[in-house]
Amino acid sequence: MRVVVVGAGQVGSTVVEALHQDHHVTVVDVDSGRLAVIGDRFDAATVEGNGASRRTLEEAGVGGAELLIACTSRDEINIIAAVFTRKLSPGTTTIVRTTDEEYLEIWHERYLDVDLVVSSERETAIAISQTIGIPAARQTDVFAGGQVQVVEFDVENQGDRTPSDLPLSQAAAQAAARRGMLVGVPLREAALPANSKVATIIREGKIALPRGNETIRQGDRIVVIGSPAAAQEWGRLIGSEHRKVGEVVVYGAGRAGLATARILIEEGISVRIIEASETQARRAADLLPKARVYHATGMDADFLERERIGDAEAAVFAMRDDAKNHYAATLAKMYGVPLTIAVVHDAHSVEVFERAGVDVAINPRLITAEEMIRYAHDPRTEQVAMLEGDRYEVLDITVRPDSQLLGRPFRELPMTGALIGAIVREGRAIFPHGDDVLQPDDRVIVFTESARVPTVVKAL
Amino acid sequence: MTDVPLERARRRRARLGVDVLASLNLVGTLVKYLSLALALPLFVALIYSESPWPWVASAAAGVGFGALLELVTRGRHRVGVREGFLVVALTWLLAAALGAISLLLSGEDQYARPLDAYFEAMSGFTTTGATVATDVRDLPHSVLIWRQFSQWLGGMGIIVLFLAVLPRLRVGGRQMFESELPGPELELSTRIQDTARRLWLLYVGLSIAQIVALTGLGWTGVDERMNLFEAVAHTFSTMPTGGFSTQVRSVEEFAAASQWVIALFMVLAGANFALTYRALLRRQPSVFVRDEEFRLYIGLLTLGSLALFVELLARDLFAGEAAVRHAVFQAVSMMTTTGLVSADFNLWGLLAAVVLVALMFFGGSAGSTAGSVKVIRHLLLGRIFRRELDLTIHPELVSRVRYNGRPVQGHILRAVQSFVMLYVGLFAVGTFLLVADAARVGLDLRLIDAVGAAATTLGNVGPAFGFAGPMGSFEPFSDVSTGVMVVLMWAGRLEIIPVAVLLTRSYWRN
Repeated sequence: MRVVVVGAGQVGSTVVEALHQDHHVTVVDVDSGRLAVIGDRFDAATVEGNGASRRTLEEAGVGGAELLIACTSRDEINIIAAVFTRKLSPGTTTIVRTTDEEYLEIWHERYLDVDLVVSSERETAIAISQTIGIPAARQTDVFAGGQVQVVEFDVENQGDRTPSDLPLSQAAAQAAARRGMLVGVPLREAALPANSKVATIIREGKIALPRGNETIRQGDRIVVIGSPAAAQEWGRLIGSEHRKVGEVVVYGAGRAGLATARILIEEGISVRIIEASETQARRAADLLPKARVYHATGMDADFLERERIGDAEAAVFAMRDDAKNHYAATLAKMYGVPLTIAVVHDAHSVEVFERAGVDVAINPRLITAEEMIRYAHDPRTEQVAMLEGDRYEVLDITVRPDSQLLGRPFRELPMTGALIGAIVREGRAIFPHGDDVLQPDDRVIVFTESARVPTVVKAL
Repeated sequence: MTDVPLERARRRRARLGVDVLASLNLVGTLVKYLSLALALPLFVALIYSESPWPWVASAAAGVGFGALLELVTRGRHRVGVREGFLVVALTWLLAAALGAISLLLSGEDQYARPLDAYFEAMSGFTTTGATVATDVRDLPHSVLIWRQFSQWLGGMGIIVLFLAVLPRLRVGGRQMFESELPGPELELSTRIQDTARRLWLLYVGLSIAQIVALTGLGWTGVDERMNLFEAVAHTFSTMPTGGFSTQVRSVEEFAAASQWVIALFMVLAGANFALTYRALLRRQPSVFVRDEEFRLYIGLLTLGSLALFVELLARDLFAGEAAVRHAVFQAVSMMTTTGLVSADFNLWGLLAAVVLVALMFFGGSAGSTAGSVKVIRHLLLGRIFRRELDLTIHPELVSRVRYNGRPVQGHILRAVQSFVMLYVGLFAVGTFLLVADAARVGLDLRLIDAVGAAATTLGNVGPAFGFAGPMGSFEPFSDVSTGVMVVLMWAGRLEIIPVAVLLTRSYWRN
């Protein structure tokens, strides 16, 4: 497939990194320095010029491309690039990155003739709210309009809830299972939440397929496919510190902060916003009547004390400056906020933040790139989530009418190193058991290693 | 007419920031056209074979005076925002003067004192409905209909009326419009003239509906006392939330059904006309439910009615339907600042009096014909206070006062606060002056009576307590007190601020 990527920033280079091995990628950017870096690191052609210029786009070969990904930091350039491409080559699929939720809205209303609009703010906000809704979830991906979730959990120390780090004796395991425990109990014995499956257990960087005698241990990272209710239940069982989130403090009323606050308010969570700029604070108060907005820096100990910021169940740090986010998050943690989530901007910050004790760090650019790459995969693949970098993938595929797997009960299906987590039949999600049968036109959500993607796609 | 005063005026004008001559020119035009309204009492006088001369003479005087004013100030047509305040203030003073002259010329004993005649006319135009007449049964039909008609003219606003018909007022009219009919979301059109026309259309439409309803009750024999004359007269009192009646005992004279009809139209007259317009003519009845002011308006009416109802039952004054009817009628009449009465609430006791005074301070909705503070200001003031309290505990909080979900601009909130302060201040000063003057002349005036009289005139309600009660008269007040109450009515009708700015130096300075 020929792919033109407009924009060689963080989003652009992440996209190129994911696509350059399997596809012919051309990158367009005004900055020759950035292009040189990309050219050095990846097998991709580069074209210097403005992505909103017809000549540049023609030079980059949009005419023969199957896919255009416009991901500069400027919305209007991305939109113009997509609009030109639609005129120059109507068959090309176009993906546009936007930082303004309004463009997302008008795209949903079909005023923008673009195949996919990805809003960094929206994606970030969804990621944050899902992290808050399911406190231990590292990453949540949503399929089939929210009916199916793929959630990645870190299994942490659970204090006295965990009987032992080691596998239990059979009698002890059965006793633990009866008490509703999961960790250290063989999966076959454990009372797993209904409508969910353990897709994989990742232990010390190695994938372990979840057979019945396998147990979940502390320090494992597990991937679960299930209904939203089941995902919540998993979060409750796995979560190191579970409680119902009632109040969240959002630092920064920029676009990411506002988008996050809006989603949280929609979920019935009460939100306090702290914003240092008076005009921004007023705007936030105008836009979100249900939020309580403070005109303050959030770095002032007296303020934090007086407003009992430490009583919040979670705090989101969405200020523009990574260093300020870092400081404010540390301060909030000191005052007792149990869950801190930071929106980070620098490519390397995620690691810095998480190492420094911020619970979750989210990079909007990476999330945006990921969302775009999903769409870029197999045309039948409606969504492709990337887990663990890109070693594992979750595919959303429609079963071919001539597939070998049709009409056979699940327990008889060959083990191909892939797991069918859910079936979407006539718009409704089914979480299959051993005697369910695949039917033509079913959509299946499959968890598999990246290397096995072609095998899985072929079999289905 | 001569050049000398003009020259002097021109020289003074150089230092003035207000074009007084242009304002006078417009006032002249308005007075001239307003005098034509005397055709209605003239017509009634001819029907009932009463003397037509007071009406012909006062109309001639009004037209002549207006024309003269226009002539003296000819050539000056530019009326801006600043001049608007002066035009509004003067027009209302002169409208009352026109009314007073016709009452004086009618030769009625009850209006023999010129200040009493002026009080009566001001009470009419400002839709107060407080009367100095001791027995309206003695008045001829033409005088009765003129008192009622002056309320109807003043209800929607004299300027608003002329805005609808005079092209001259197109520019600069917005300020005057807002002085007479304040309130947010009043605009029914981008052009102020269209808005004024639509409001008058609705006003006339509702008035016709009420006349038809009341006359219907008369013709079908439900209410034997109701006829076309009474229907028109009481509609002229209901729709502008006036309060004058052709009967000494006001609406008590009429059947229960008529009282209910009048109560219903009082509720409509006290609601925002822009909402009623949208609900009726654009078929969006849900605007009422969605409007926060309307919801509070209905809520307060219900609460007031309930309080009175409980008291009527507790004191065993009325029972059953009559208790409900009198409680609702009085609550609606006081809160919408109408002032028609279905029973003598002087006999209801002090607690009822306090409830009625409290209702006088609420008033109707913005954009209605009602006077007083108006519900929306109470609503916003409550929210301002709540925000202030919130800010005392959370000083960094950024909180916006909202109305119907939308943030309200800071300058509007300031205007609300200063209006309420001015209103309460003027009420206190008025009460003090009435008490002091009563002491001076040895008038037997209880404190609740003085409070009632000041509140009722400032709020353009009508009846007070004691001798000035619902079936009584303001005649016993001395000339000084009468003068004070004239000023209160005038300032209250124009919502104080347009009158108060005339007293500031910065208004007149260039």
